[in-house]
Amino acid sequence: MASMGKLYRHQARTGYLFITPTILLFLIFTVIPVFMAFYLSFTNYDVLSRMDWVGLDNYQRLWKDTLYWKTFRNVSYYTVVFIPLNIIISMGIALLLNFRKTGVKLFRTMNYLPTLTSAVAAATVWVWLLHPEFGLVNALLGYLGIVGPAWLAQTETAMFSIILVTLWQSIGSNMIIYIAGLQGIPDYLYESAKLDGANAFHRFRYITLPQLRPTTFLVSTMSIIGALQLFDQAFVLTEGGPANVTKTPVYLIYQQGFNQLQMGYASAQAFILAVAILIFSFINMRINKSEESVV
Amino acid sequence: MKKWISIVTLTILVMVTLAACGGNNGGNNASSSAGSKETTAAPSETTKASETTPAAPAEVVELNFWGDWGGEGQKQFEAMADAFNKSQDRIKVKYVLQQDMITKFLTAATSGGSPDILFWDRWRTSLYAPKNVMHPIDDFMAKDGVNAGDFYDEAMKELSSGGKLYGLPLTVDARALFYNKKLFADAGITNPPTTWDELEQAAIKTTKWNGKKLEVAGFSLADNGLFNMYLQQAGGTILTDDGKTNFNNDKGKAVLEYWDRLLNKDKVYKVGFEQGLGEGTDAFATGKVAMTYTGPWMLTTYKKYGKDLDFGIVPPPAGPNGDKGSGMGGFGLVIPEGSKHQAEAWEFIKWWTGTKEGALQWAKMSLNLPGYKPALEDSFFKDDPLWKPFIDTLSFAKIRPQHPGYSIMEGDALVPNLQLFQQGKQSAEETLKKAQEQGDRLLQDNATAK
Repeated sequence: MASMGKLYRHQARTGYLFITPTILLFLIFTVIPVFMAFYLSFTNYDVLSRMDWVGLDNYQRLWKDTLYWKTFRNVSYYTVVFIPLNIIISMGIALLLNFRKTGVKLFRTMNYLPTLTSAVAAATVWVWLLHPEFGLVNALLGYLGIVGPAWLAQTETAMFSIILVTLWQSIGSNMIIYIAGLQGIPDYLYESAKLDGANAFHRFRYITLPQLRPTTFLVSTMSIIGALQLFDQAFVLTEGGPANVTKTPVYLIYQQGFNQLQMGYASAQAFILAVAILIFSFINMRINKSEESVV
Repeated sequence: MKKWISIVTLTILVMVTLAACGGNNGGNNASSSAGSKETTAAPSETTKASETTPAAPAEVVELNFWGDWGGEGQKQFEAMADAFNKSQDRIKVKYVLQQDMITKFLTAATSGGSPDILFWDRWRTSLYAPKNVMHPIDDFMAKDGVNAGDFYDEAMKELSSGGKLYGLPLTVDARALFYNKKLFADAGITNPPTTWDELEQAAIKTTKWNGKKLEVAGFSLADNGLFNMYLQQAGGTILTDDGKTNFNNDKGKAVLEYWDRLLNKDKVYKVGFEQGLGEGTDAFATGKVAMTYTGPWMLTTYKKYGKDLDFGIVPPPAGPNGDKGSGMGGFGLVIPEGSKHQAEAWEFIKWWTGTKEGALQWAKMSLNLPGYKPALEDSFFKDDPLWKPFIDTLSFAKIRPQHPGYSIMEGDALVPNLQLFQQGKQSAEETLKKAQEQGDRLLQDNATAK
C-alpha cells in the first residue's frame, strides 16, 4: 500500500510538472490580462499618460451609449439568423456526403475550400460579386427579370449579405465536424431500428439527431462565440455601414481602445460583451441539455 | 533520475517564461531590429559599436525612422534616408517599416525603445500631443531660424496643440474635382463646372441610364464623409469654436437639398454604385463616373490609363453664395518624447521638409505636394496642368477640426444619418437633428485627450 501511495505521488508530481508550462503561459497571457482588463474598466487608462480610478463612470457612460447597444442588436440579429442556418446547412451537407462512394471526397474538399481562404480576401471578392450593377449575383437575378438590390449599400440587405458570406465560409469546417460525428454513430443502432420497421425519417429523428447532440452543442457554442465577436468580414464588406446597421461591438471596442486611446472605456465595453457571450452560451447549453444527458 | 528530470523541466520552464515576458515588451525592438539600446542591453551595444567604427569612430548617431508605408513608399523613404545620410557624416537614418505603427508606438512610448522620427498622420496630433509623447519643436525652429510662414498654415495648425508645434508637414493634399474630358465632349460640355449649378447641369448631361440600369453616373456621391467640404461651400463650418456640431441649420439643409436633387430628382448617381470598385476597376478610371472628388494620391493610378482616360482637374465648384471649400490632409514628421537623439532627429526633419533640396527630391519621386511652399515654385508643379488646380485648391482648403472626437462624430453619428437620408429613410430635418444629438454626445464623450 505504501508503495502504491508513493507511485501515485510520483505520478502526480510528474503530471503537474508537465502541465506547469502550459498553465503558466495560460496564467500570464490569459488569466492575468482578463483580471487586468476588469480592473482597467474602472479606470481612465489611456496606455500613455494616466490610469486613475474612476469608479463606475465607464459603466454609467456605457449605459447611455446608444450606439453600443445598437451594435448589440446588430450582432444579436446576426446570431439569431446565422446559427440555425449554420447548423441546418452544415448538418445537411454532412448527411449528403457521409457515404462511401467514389467521388465523395472530391465533394467534401470542394465544400471545405471556402474555409481555407482568408476571411479578408474572400470578403473582398464577395464585395465584387455583390456589386449592384456589375456583380455576378445581380447579373444572374437579371436573367430572371429581377432588379437586385445594392446588397451591401442598403440598410435592409447589408446584414443579410454578411450572414450569407460568413455562412459560405464557415459551413465547410462545421461539415467536417458533423461528418466525424456521423461516423461515430454505431451501425447496429440503425440495423436494429430497421428490423423494428423504422423508416428513414424515423432513423434520422430518433437515432441520428440525438446521437449528434454533443456535436451540435460544440458547433453551436463555437458559432455563438464567433458570431458575437464578428468583426473582420463585416469590416471588409461594409465598414460598419450603411447607417451603422453592420457595426459590431468588437468594432467599437477596437475604435475606442486603439483609435481614441480610451482603454478604460473599451475594457468596460469588452467586459459587457464577455458577459453577453456567457449568457448566450449558457442558454445554448440549457437548450442542448433539455432532453437528456448528452454524454 | 527523477530529480534530473525535474531540474531540466524547471530550467526549460523558467527560460520559456522569461523569453515570453521579454518577448512581450521587447517585441517592437526585435522587429525593428536596430537601435533600442536599453532593452537589448550589452550585446547589441557591442555589435553596434563594431558596425559604426569603420565609418566615423564613436560620433555617428543612428536614428530610427518609423513609418507605415510599404512597397513603393518604403523605397521612397529609404531613398530619402540615403540621400540625407550622404549629405552629412554625423547622422545615419534608417527607415523601419511598421505595418501597425500606431499600436507599436503605444508600447514603444511607454516601455522604451521609442523611435527617433515618426511618419505622422497629422490629424492624430490633437489626441496624442496632450499625452506628452511628442516632443515640441518650437525651440529648434527658433534656434535654426526656420520660418514657419514657409509652410502651409493649416498644416502647421494641425501639427500644433496647446500653443506648441510638434512637427513639420511633409505632404499636403486636398480634394478637387476630376472630370472625364471625353464624356464631357460627348455631352457637349465645353467648360468644367465652377458652381454647384454648373456641376448639377454637367452631371445631368453626362449621366446615362439603360432602363433601370445605371451605366454612367454623372457625378459620384459615394463619399458621405465629404459633407464637411460641401458645408464649407455652402458657407458653414462643421463645428463651433467650443466643440459642438454646427450643421443643424440652413447651411446643412442646403447641402442635403443639393444632394437630394442630384440623387433623387436628377438621378445622376445610385447608392452603392462604386462600392467594391477598387484600383483597376475604379469607376472614374473606367469611365463609369464622369466627375468625382478625389485627391492627388489618385494621379499615379489615373495616369497609368494613358490615352484611355483623358481627364482634367478643377478646384471644387463654389456654393450658392460663392463660398469655396475643400478639406486639407496630409502627413508630417514628428519626434517622439522618448527619443534619445531629438536634436539629430530635428536635423533630418528640417532637411527633408524644410529645404528645397529635400522637399523637391521627395515630391518629384513620390508625386506628393510638399508642405514647404518655396518648393512649389518649382516648374515641376507650377507648369503642370494637373498640379495647378491642387495648388489653387490648397489656398482655401481647411483641415478637419482639431477635436479628438471629430472622426468618431463623423463616422458614427454624421455619416450613418446621411446614409439614411440618401436612401430616403429619413427627412433632411430629422437627419440633421439626429446627427446633431448623437454627434454632440460623441464629441463630449471623446473630448478629453489628456
